[in-house]
Amino acid sequence: MLGRAFGTYDVVVIGGGPAGMAAALGARDAGSERVLILDREPEVGGILQQCIHAGFGLHYFDQELTGPEYAERFFTRVVDQDVDVQVDSYVSGVAVDSSGEKRVRVMSAEHGLVTVPTRSVVLAMGCRERTRGQIRIPGTRPAGVLTAGLAQKMVNMLGVLPGKRVAILGSGDIGLIMARRLTLEGCEVVGVFELMPHSNGLTRNVVQCLDDFGIPLHLSTTVTRIHGSDRVNAITVAPVDAQLTPDHSQARDVACDTLLLSIGLIPENELSQSLGIHIDEVNTGGPWVSSTLETSMPGMFACGNVLHVHDLADFVTREALLAGQFAAEHAAGVRRPKDDIQLVPGDNVRYCMPHSLSTEREHTIYLRCKEPMRPAWLSVGGDLLTKRLQFVVPAEMIMLKIKPDVLERFHGDTLRIDLHAEKGGAA
Amino acid sequence: MSGAQETKELVCVGCPVGCPLQLTHEGTKLVEVHGHECNRGAKYAKQEFKDPRRGLATTVIIEGARWARLPVKVSNPVPKGRVLEAARLIHAIVAKAPVSVGDVLLTGLFGEENLEVVATRSMERV
Ligand SMILES: Cc1cc2nc3c(=O)[nH]c(=O)nc-3n(C[C@H](O)[C@H](O)[C@H](O)COP(=O)(O)OP(=O)(O)OC[C@H]3O[C@@H](n4cnc5c(N)ncnc54)[C@H](O)[C@@H]3O)c2cc1C
Ligand code: SF4
Repeated sequence: MLGRAFGTYDVVVIGGGPAGMAAALGARDAGSERVLILDREPEVGGILQQCIHAGFGLHYFDQELTGPEYAERFFTRVVDQDVDVQVDSYVSGVAVDSSGEKRVRVMSAEHGLVTVPTRSVVLAMGCRERTRGQIRIPGTRPAGVLTAGLAQKMVNMLGVLPGKRVAILGSGDIGLIMARRLTLEGCEVVGVFELMPHSNGLTRNVVQCLDDFGIPLHLSTTVTRIHGSDRVNAITVAPVDAQLTPDHSQARDVACDTLLLSIGLIPENELSQSLGIHIDEVNTGGPWVSSTLETSMPGMFACGNVLHVHDLADFVTREALLAGQFAAEHAAGVRRPKDDIQLVPGDNVRYCMPHSLSTEREHTIYLRCKEPMRPAWLSVGGDLLTKRLQFVVPAEMIMLKIKPDVLERFHGDTLRIDLHAEKGGAA
Repeated sequence: MSGAQETKELVCVGCPVGCPLQLTHEGTKLVEVHGHECNRGAKYAKQEFKDPRRGLATTVIIEGARWARLPVKVSNPVPKGRVLEAARLIHAIVAKAPVSVGDVLLTGLFGEENLEVVATRSMERV
């Protein structure tokens, strides 16, 4: 397919997960003729191919699908829509010339090093898992310490079990889902340990993945040491206080041969950073984007987990369809007026997305809270728009639509979003 | 009657929202359900009260494909207490590529007509 690539593409999408596939479809739908998806893996689908559990598609298809089923539906559409797909292709860079045309640098065994010219680029590279190094667990460095997502791929695709007696650090959804998955495969899961006083995963996953199988969840507890020379043979765990400092006097050892880390995801920023794209280091950890999901580099858009870590593939799809549409507009030479409202997170809001808004249309914004609250009052721009939410938890992204008439009042200003326990109240 | 009423708390697992449900029952008779944001929640509460079941997704060995495992699911929820047993039975299946999404690999799990093991993705022969 890259043989055809000597003509210029309208849109090149980097990454073929749910974000990349939807971006490509969004671009085709908005009129782009030539759209290409590049992925380094041997097939598209991204992380969905290893997420074999059900829980995808309820919003988008009104039907509960497994990850691979969700991926295959989109792949069928991608093929129907004549989107070019090139797998086994690693994107190592993008060069931008003075006219704004981009050249995507691709490495593959089949074609060697090739550059693909395009008018727009969509970044859809997904995210990375945080590793032991990032939380600096003391102890030896034996085999048997690995990230939960890697274990998921080993078990679900490669057919290899990571160990027999498994402890899991972190109660995010990946950790919870792997606890059940390994139990089904005959491993003994000795416990899930969570630093925070609440689980970081969806409640349904705590119920279905731990409670159903009698797997204990130890909140406000962390792993303070790893033991073993060649292979893990135990971990030390200790409760933590309100400042998250471990109380070593109450430490105890737990025998296990494997420690899975499910300690968070971070947008895959290597490529974005090398391109000089402005990253929101404080809040999302991904690129800064305008209301058209355009990064600080004109004609380069971002969506999905590379932009901010999503818990629902359905939201990824929705966001990416938009990114694709705006990328197609850019390729066709359409330039929208610049945003003139900055969107900023306030009390109990970890981040909100996108980073700026315009008054020309309705916007869908996404936000995540810092602490659980039940109920929670969401307020936009002070008391301009308030909404009662039954409850908010960090694991669930909150979606909100804002109409132009609310935005009119904030021309050239910042618009702040807060979550309070009481209406009109302080945090 | 008032003395016989009891309550039970559940979390709806129907979708990622995870609504907290309050069930009021008199012995084995469910009186009412609160806390669900949609009808699936009420249905879930009734089912969970009477015959708790869980969806099951796992993998089976596949020969002649790019990957060593093929993801599968059971077409309908299986009895909650028999999930591990179901997984063991399914793990004995060996599929052969090519497989198409939706292919049925086993019918009548536990002798229940509507419990089919189906492939959740296509895998070509390599
Ligand atoms: C364990 C787990 C459970 C989940 N459960 C649910 C659930 O129940 N329901 C739900 O709706 N959502 C769930 N999600 C979330 C959802 O799966 C993700 O949010 C979604 O898959 C993210 O899509 P993406 O396209 O942004 O990233 P990905 O799926 O990660 O895709 C990124 C793609 O980019 C490619 N790539 C990266 N860098 C390069 C490069 N330089 N060159 C070429 N290609 C590159 C990668 O190979 C990959 O294919 C879950 C996620 C995980 C990890
Ligand atoms: S009641 Fe409806 S919205 Fe609430 S968790 Fe159940 S299925 Fe989801």
